[in-house]
Amino acid sequence: MNSPFEQVVLQSDIDELETSDLSLLETLDHVLNRGLVIAGEITISVADIDLIFLGLNVLVSSVEKAHEVLREREQGKNPGTSETEGLQTER
Amino acid sequence: MTGNGEKAEVKDAFYVYGICEATAAAVIAAEGLPGAIEEDAGVELITVDGLSAVVSRVPLASYAELSLAENLTDATWTAVRAMRHQQVVEHFARRTSVVPLRFGAIYLEFEGVERMLTDRKLELKEIIERLRGREEWGINLYADRETLAGVIDSLSPRLRDLHEQAATASPGQSYLLRKKIETLRADESRSELQRISSEVEDTFRSLADETRRLRVLRVEATEHGELTAKFAFLIKRASFEEFRATAERLARKHELSGVRLELTGPWPAYNFAGD
Repeated sequence: MNSPFEQVVLQSDIDELETSDLSLLETLDHVLNRGLVIAGEITISVADIDLIFLGLNVLVSSVEKAHEVLREREQGKNPGTSETEGLQTER
Repeated sequence: MTGNGEKAEVKDAFYVYGICEATAAAVIAAEGLPGAIEEDAGVELITVDGLSAVVSRVPLASYAELSLAENLTDATWTAVRAMRHQQVVEHFARRTSVVPLRFGAIYLEFEGVERMLTDRKLELKEIIERLRGREEWGINLYADRETLAGVIDSLSPRLRDLHEQAATASPGQSYLLRKKIETLRADESRSELQRISSEVEDTFRSLADETRRLRVLRVEATEHGELTAKFAFLIKRASFEEFRATAERLARKHELSGVRLELTGPWPAYNFAGD
């Protein structure tokens, strides 16, 4: 509890994930920017990924929006609902 | 329904999360698998000659080139898929050595995945060996420029001198001296930040099997200051505790200078899987 870190992201713990917008950003950063690129028959290009990440980064950098996204994930809602629109207006 | 892809009304594609050894994959699959990238899909294995690709069938309607590009501009759609991708990769990474792919490797046919496993077999096996027993930790460095400048002011003999001169100088001279102080302070802050960053990198490098300095794509300053450097380290599981303890020590050491360390992990070894 005396840790100097405000946020230590333990990916195995979903509760921690939910309390931290950082973890969502870091996840996006890892999943979109990194990893082995195996060109499937459909693959998004590196430049596209940078742009997508920057866009998401700006969008998701407030705790509130990160939680919105996570809530939707938890509830397994289909994108295209009002929540999606709410996010889009922020762009 | 879609077991026989070619015959089905709605065409599915194959989304690949990562690749691991077939024996381990079978054991993990038998114990139960996490949710797939799409709600109504399952996580499946496609196995060729000792290697398994972890895949899901996804509707081409959402994942074909044009619709994918459009979906990706929807932040919620993308964020949710990225989280699910991560959860699947992580599920395997916690249990075996996995080659984590990044989001968006999609094959139109089952056979396309099989071909990929065959064609890249040696490369994939080499990566699996290199990553075995290891995961990735991230260190982000944030700098609070004001705090750092304050520390520099009190520590730098040259700056202390200039401050003393400015205090007793005429208004005109004092103006010029303050300009000089600002420039010098910015220079010294920058080199101090570089020094700390190198120290941090070198210290963790000695505990890591591999090190990457990552591009800083994050644009905005946060409440923790400005993101100034980002590193990834490939660490043996046996060294996790030491790594964490070292991070805590370095964080304490530098926090008074306005430099914050942020530790994230463990991650599947996204940064060490290739390229």
